[in-house]
Amino acid sequence: MLRTALRNVLANKARLVMTVLAVCLGVAFVCGTLVFAESSAAAYRAAASKDFAGIAVTVTPKYAPPGAGEEAPGALDDALVGKLAEVPGVAAARPAADGSATLNGADGRPLRAGRAWSNLAAAYLPGEDGNDSRHPLVEGRAPRGGGELAVDSGTAAAGGFEIGDMVTLATDGPVLKKRLVGIVKTEDSRVTAGGTLAVFDKATAQALYASPGRYTSIDVSAEPGTDEVELAGRISALLPADRAEAVTGAAQATQQATYTDTLTRGHQKMPMLFAGVSLFIGSFLIVNTFTMVVSRRTREIALLRAIGASRRQVVRCVLWEAVLLGLVASAAGFALGLGIASVLPGLLSTPQDALPDGPLVIGPLPVVAALGVGVGITVLAAWLPSRKAAKVAPIEALRTSEQPPTATASRVRGVVGLLLLLAGGGLLVSLTGAKDASEENLQNAMSGCALLVVAMIVLAPLLAVPVIRLTGRLTGRFGITGHLARENALRDPRRTAATASALIVSTALVAGLAVIGNSTGQALDRQAAAGLGADYVIGSRGGMTAIDPGTEKRVAGTPGVKTAAGIADSTVFTGGGVRRIAGIDPAAVGDVMRLDFVSGSLKDLGPGRIALSATVAREQGVSAGGQVKARIGRNQEFTRYTVVGVYEDNPTAGEVLGSRADVRRDGFLPDSVQRILVRTDGAAVSKTTEDGLRAAAGNSPLVQVKDRQALVDEAAGSLADLLTLMYGLLAIGTVISLLGIVNTLAMSVADRTREIGVLRAVGMDRAGIRRMIRLESVTVAAFGTLLGLTGGLFGAWAVGSLTNGAMKEYSLALPWGTLLLVCLVSLTTGVLAAAVPARRAASLSPLEAVAER
Amino acid sequence: MTAAPFDALAPHPTTGFAAATSELSKVYGSGDTRVVALDRVSIAFREGEFTAIMGPSGCGKSTLMHCAAGLDSVSSGSVRIGTTELSTLGDRQLTELRRDRIGFIFQAFNLLPTLTALENITLPLSIAGRRPDQQWLERVVSMVGLSRRLGHRPGQLSGGQQQRVAVARALASRPSIIFGDEPTGNLDSRAGAEVLGFLRDSVRELGQTVVMVTHDPVAAGYADRVVFLSDGRLVDEMAHPTPERVLDRMKALDTHSRTS
Repeated sequence: MLRTALRNVLANKARLVMTVLAVCLGVAFVCGTLVFAESSAAAYRAAASKDFAGIAVTVTPKYAPPGAGEEAPGALDDALVGKLAEVPGVAAARPAADGSATLNGADGRPLRAGRAWSNLAAAYLPGEDGNDSRHPLVEGRAPRGGGELAVDSGTAAAGGFEIGDMVTLATDGPVLKKRLVGIVKTEDSRVTAGGTLAVFDKATAQALYASPGRYTSIDVSAEPGTDEVELAGRISALLPADRAEAVTGAAQATQQATYTDTLTRGHQKMPMLFAGVSLFIGSFLIVNTFTMVVSRRTREIALLRAIGASRRQVVRCVLWEAVLLGLVASAAGFALGLGIASVLPGLLSTPQDALPDGPLVIGPLPVVAALGVGVGITVLAAWLPSRKAAKVAPIEALRTSEQPPTATASRVRGVVGLLLLLAGGGLLVSLTGAKDASEENLQNAMSGCALLVVAMIVLAPLLAVPVIRLTGRLTGRFGITGHLARENALRDPRRTAATASALIVSTALVAGLAVIGNSTGQALDRQAAAGLGADYVIGSRGGMTAIDPGTEKRVAGTPGVKTAAGIADSTVFTGGGVRRIAGIDPAAVGDVMRLDFVSGSLKDLGPGRIALSATVAREQGVSAGGQVKARIGRNQEFTRYTVVGVYEDNPTAGEVLGSRADVRRDGFLPDSVQRILVRTDGAAVSKTTEDGLRAAAGNSPLVQVKDRQALVDEAAGSLADLLTLMYGLLAIGTVISLLGIVNTLAMSVADRTREIGVLRAVGMDRAGIRRMIRLESVTVAAFGTLLGLTGGLFGAWAVGSLTNGAMKEYSLALPWGTLLLVCLVSLTTGVLAAAVPARRAASLSPLEAVAER
Repeated sequence: MTAAPFDALAPHPTTGFAAATSELSKVYGSGDTRVVALDRVSIAFREGEFTAIMGPSGCGKSTLMHCAAGLDSVSSGSVRIGTTELSTLGDRQLTELRRDRIGFIFQAFNLLPTLTALENITLPLSIAGRRPDQQWLERVVSMVGLSRRLGHRPGQLSGGQQQRVAVARALASRPSIIFGDEPTGNLDSRAGAEVLGFLRDSVRELGQTVVMVTHDPVAAGYADRVVFLSDGRLVDEMAHPTPERVLDRMKALDTHSRTS
């Protein structure tokens, strides 16, 4: 039987290629993703262990728990360094004074400031040879005194710095300007993976990150043959137990690798999702191909049965064929996957966000996945048709025509499909009344959508007939070719539906995502616009640092600025919850904050009074005129505040509004503002104004100046990912659908050789044949698109109604452009897919009509 | 010999011959595998005549028909349909010629399974984008007795009915000539006799020209003329054949080809 299987695999090369391609693509995506994930994790690990190479133990200060009294000066001083160097087994002890610093690039914009954890700063601490081995100089000299700094070569290149430049930077509040005197090299993976490094002289770094004469850590290297853990124990004994601790280098490397890996894990999600979807859609292609292959071989199988092969042998024969094919395809897919894995870092890295370089790491997981996915899915896909094949009665060997599916089978299909549709649709519709996007509701929505997709696939063969009759009205305009194309597509609705299923799924996904994305985007836009009257918002990066109090006045004095309202942000504890409070000057915010009051007004806001958002007011059960007990910021005492008004939820205002005096007094950063809302003359937004505002904020890299569009974009940040996802899915769906349609058409052309010969004999020219095949292909594509669009739009509507509960401004907004693009892409896919089969059909000779079979 | 009756419905100016070949040769392969299927065959098919081409298997009768009908290319010599020389035509013109001036009836019926009987009958006209002549269509349809089955698909028709549809398809566009390739080969004798009767009627009543390849002496008995082919050469011809005479002639040919 194995030999028969092998012969079958090799019998039709074109068919073989198509099926292998289908499996191959799915495997390639999965393997590529897995190998990429493992390789990048390994690269991070390698980089991290390089960071800690030669470090046996690191001593770090231990801080008293907050609130336990005044902080004692750090224990890590030169004396401790000396003491550590004397410990038996220690080769050298090297102190460090590290922290973080954000730099402005030469263009005045914050440099690689998106990831605060990778904006590092360090002290230049020369060893005995006068050089700092952690930061070897490649150009210039080491910084001396407070006015100088060095940066690493990556930072210099990204920021456009040259030696002698003045570099603007900030570590916490104040803006610092230092002259660049040297460029160093660093191996720190956080910096090489898209961070920055600023190097100061010892005194400056100590002042910034520890206290004069103290260090932030001491790295200890061991003499050969010393056990790290034992050494750590010996060192710990020397340390003041409450003020310092010792950690081994290996432990730190692991910790840092895990940390960086977690922070960059987002890179893996998207390709993984693509792999999953392509596999899902691809499995339709595989199932479809095998079904067609088996039904084409009905006579052959019947013959096998007639000459005495048992059902089991037939099933086994088909399964062996699938295993062989799966193995070949998986191997090819694996190779392709390695290719994908090797180009992914290049695609995903940007100068702003670099991935560490490293060799491809091929662990057992991708190999197992490739085999499991490739062989597993192929065998599974072959199993169903193989059972059908085994049921072929020997008498079939004598019959020529295909048997149409029985009425019972389609009735069962109809009932099952309708039940699934009702379940999915019902679940989704029942959610439209939901008030919030809770986890449970979202999960229900997901399962509703999944049910809907399955229902569509089950029902597709039944829907094919009416839908294609409808589209046939359009193709009918092409005369007899259109008529024949329609009838051919209808000939085997199951085959047509299976061919279209890849398009159904991908179109539904893309259309759904596009609609939700577009609606959400517009909602965010409206929301930002609803709450914000300002044209610019100046804020501190991360919100943890304060804006220099003088900034507000300077901003107000900037040309083009009409009003500037400083807002003190903090937190307020009330009713057992922590909420955001914005301290405002009621007179100044009218212009920059758009508030809709449900009751009361801002007029009476002053010390001892607050206004609440509608949600908070509802939860607290108070309305205007009532009182709530609350404490703001670091104030430990609860105070009674009078509620002067309740406003509709507003992202700019936050949950609670208080008087600026109250918040500035009690906030965690007293007497500061965190945001300045700026109204310009005539609501003008320009680069000049922005630069002026940036200058007014002292050009501090820690301060962000954003116009309204930037704020909206930021809120819609995840939508950019959604867009990538959408177009990625569209591309995958298109490629797989293309393969599927080519596959089906090629087979159906082969099936219809004689018919095409007749058409040629009775006078259809080659162009007519080509047009017929193309129209058939487009009909199938249009069917898939139509069904997918319907499903996608319904799903989007249902999920959108759910979102409506959570997002007030949400309303269904159809992205016509994208939907049109989806339709065009699908129809083009149909035309493209038909190219080769159509050419093949057109080249058939009219003699095929009379050929003996 | 029946003289071609003048028919007002005759579609093309008459030259006396619907189709003719002269010195027609068809060679397959080259060198050692060279096979001469047709060897300088010259034959003419008169308008309004029913001709049968006979001969033992492999004598080239099908090839002759394929070449004469413009389905296959020729190695040398010429083929004319009416006054049109086929060797000068490109694929497109040849296709149009087949569509407009030639009708086909195949052994395997070769109807399109997705089209109804009526759609199959009007297929060549639909391809040409022409509306069928209703009167003519009704006449053809009622002649083959399919008036009640026009909405059926081929799968719902018996073999005989399918071949009647094929006959109607061949007649519907009023071609200059109809070629039949073993039109009764897949039919039982009764259905076969019906189809042959229609073909003869179309010649007698409608003035149609029909050329049919067959190996069945009974079928040949319906024709006005039988030509015999052996080893790619025209060897004999018989007017007003009867099955018995044809059978006798065939037996002689068979022994001849076996001994040669």
